[in-house]
Amino acid sequence: MNTRVLSVRRDIQAEQKADAAAERERLGRRGTLVINLLSSPGSGKTSLLEATARHWAGRRSMAVLVGDLETDRDAQRLAPLVPVAQLTTGGACHLELPLVQRGLQALGDPAVDFLFIENVGNLVCPASHDLAEHLRVVLISTTEGDDKPGKYPKMFRTSQAMVVTKQDLLPHVPFSIEAVTEDALKIQPELNVLTTCAIDNSGIQEWCEFLEQQYQEKIESVYEPAGNQ
Amino acid sequence: MHERSLVQTLLNQVQQIVADDGGGVVKEIQVQVGDLSGVEPLLFESAFTELAREWFPQECRLVLDIVPVKAECRLCGQCFEVQDNEFLCPACGTGPVEVIQGDQVKLMSITVDSENSVSGAKS
Repeated sequence: MNTRVLSVRRDIQAEQKADAAAERERLGRRGTLVINLLSSPGSGKTSLLEATARHWAGRRSMAVLVGDLETDRDAQRLAPLVPVAQLTTGGACHLELPLVQRGLQALGDPAVDFLFIENVGNLVCPASHDLAEHLRVVLISTTEGDDKPGKYPKMFRTSQAMVVTKQDLLPHVPFSIEAVTEDALKIQPELNVLTTCAIDNSGIQEWCEFLEQQYQEKIESVYEPAGNQ
Repeated sequence: MHERSLVQTLLNQVQQIVADDGGGVVKEIQVQVGDLSGVEPLLFESAFTELAREWFPQECRLVLDIVPVKAECRLCGQCFEVQDNEFLCPACGTGPVEVIQGDQVKLMSITVDSENSVSGAKS
């Protein structure tokens, strides 16, 4: 019997990360900013997307890939507003790139300005998977407690923006914007923090302006001329 | 439970690497798991125990090496171990900091038994 030790020293997700980087490059080059939206279930991802679509109606193009374990309820909500495809994971707790690519194909690979990936509601597993996004945004609603960043550090560490949703409920819930911001900035000092309410549209204009600024920085400034390839 | 999906990826790679190296019985797999990798070691181990049985009929040991999170300040260059998820530079207090260790899930080595003498370790 011969025993040998194979030295490998390789990130086990190296291949997936390379695939995601190539897809990110392809989508960026042809003028699409990809935004991965992550949060707990019920924090208001679909409502934020509805408000975003209404705000941009006729001015900026967007499409949405919606991840859920079962049903196409969120996709049905968004379908009257924007091109949308449902990604049903059948029990899996997160999305992976091949499923996203299948969703893009189902949509006919549209050359939109903004492609949103509404990830499965979960603050743990989705943080470990690169879906070719240019921007990772974590949502936290005022009803779920302001201590979440410290509990789910990887999610907040790997995000570039945090959107506090349902701000209209602040008078009724024990949630402090200052506390959640302080907690999150310890983990990710460069996090952009925004506050919104999709019901009364407060903060939606600022959210859309933030995305347009990101588009300028990550797409227009990087790939010139934008959208012509 | 994304640990299961990561273990599947790992075992797939192990099988490929061993086959490319001449085959044999996989006895031990060493993996580095960073504290910021999002992987829960106990769940990773239990997913491994379940899946390794299907992939490798003989007993195969998983050795997990848990790696603390280290970061480097982009302003003053200070390297430090991140405590309690506080990513602020302890020297200048301003940040921003770059994570230089602790967010990885890395296949380090595979120990293989074989009947015949083959190429040996590769890098």
